[in-house]
Amino acid sequence: MDPIRLDVLREVGNVGASHAITALSKMLDGQKLELVIPEACWLSFEDAAKFMSEDSERLVVGIYMHVSGDVQGHMAFLLPLDSAMLLIRRLTSERGDALTEMALSTLQEIGNIMITSYLNALNAMTDLVLHPSVPGVAVDMTGAIWQSVLAGAQVAEQVTFIKTEFRTAETPIGGHIIFLPADDDFQRIAAVLGARNLP
Amino acid sequence: MNDVFVNMGQIVVLRSTGSLITVGLGSCIGVTLYDRANKVGVMGHIFLGRSRSPQDAVTLPGKYADTGIPAMVQAVLAAGAAPKNLQAKIAGGAHLFPTLAALENSIGYQNTLAVRQQLQRLQLPLTGEATGGNRGRKMQLDVATGKVMVQSIGQPPIDI
Repeated sequence: MDPIRLDVLREVGNVGASHAITALSKMLDGQKLELVIPEACWLSFEDAAKFMSEDSERLVVGIYMHVSGDVQGHMAFLLPLDSAMLLIRRLTSERGDALTEMALSTLQEIGNIMITSYLNALNAMTDLVLHPSVPGVAVDMTGAIWQSVLAGAQVAEQVTFIKTEFRTAETPIGGHIIFLPADDDFQRIAAVLGARNLP
Repeated sequence: MNDVFVNMGQIVVLRSTGSLITVGLGSCIGVTLYDRANKVGVMGHIFLGRSRSPQDAVTLPGKYADTGIPAMVQAVLAAGAAPKNLQAKIAGGAHLFPTLAALENSIGYQNTLAVRQQLQRLQLPLTGEATGGNRGRKMQLDVATGKVMVQSIGQPPIDI
């Protein structure tokens, strides 16, 4: 894949994730959130398998959705456990040290809103229809969640995805949003945006 | 202590001492084949049940059950195992996001069936198993003893 396409896809990550974190910022009474530069990755399966290996055993909350419509794909929102706990304390009256069922369903809904905002932004940019599925939520090892997302996408030899990291300025809340479109659809998004935005 | 990590799609053989470890097994299946008499073992980290093209058997056979289990047998025999001594253990095949698919359609469940089928086809006795459920797992084979430990987050390790 040429570097210009990767640039365009990075822009997708930027715009999509900006909308997603704006939605989160509203839930946090306007608290400022920063985006770290998005990464557009085009990796061999082996490199994709290693992509999260440093954090493989780290506990995260993962919210995972299928995307259907003009673009088939998978979206995941990964939140380290300590960030998830902070978020829950900010947004609910829960003060315990463990994630309750109620906390998990709150996080699932936050993920749902963020992912839907991301997809809406992408739809506004491209006119491509992207429908999110119902969300799934799990608290587990990063590796197990990343692996299940890749398997859900049934990735072949090359894996394409956009990863955007965000964090708050004031409190250590941060996380990742990952968009993993099906291979052909990745090309389609790049083509639509490339035709519009590039000279 | 020699700890060797096995990533998705990899097949790694180890003799005499040390451990083969795979972490972050979600819907994937960790498979070990071990020969106690010769103290040699192999671990694979199977991603999906069936390969999609003949090319898959060449590029990364360990990614799929149908190409990976035969490749594991080949690798461990080449390292000195005797076919009649091989015993298999498996872990993983969890369904982390149950709201997204019914159990029978889940990749974890399909992977478990595919791996069991390959073991049966190659007449490899399955002597230990920790599969299914909704939690990720870590799997470790101690090559000196053949002991296989499996652990999920927040749970004590179990000896399968």
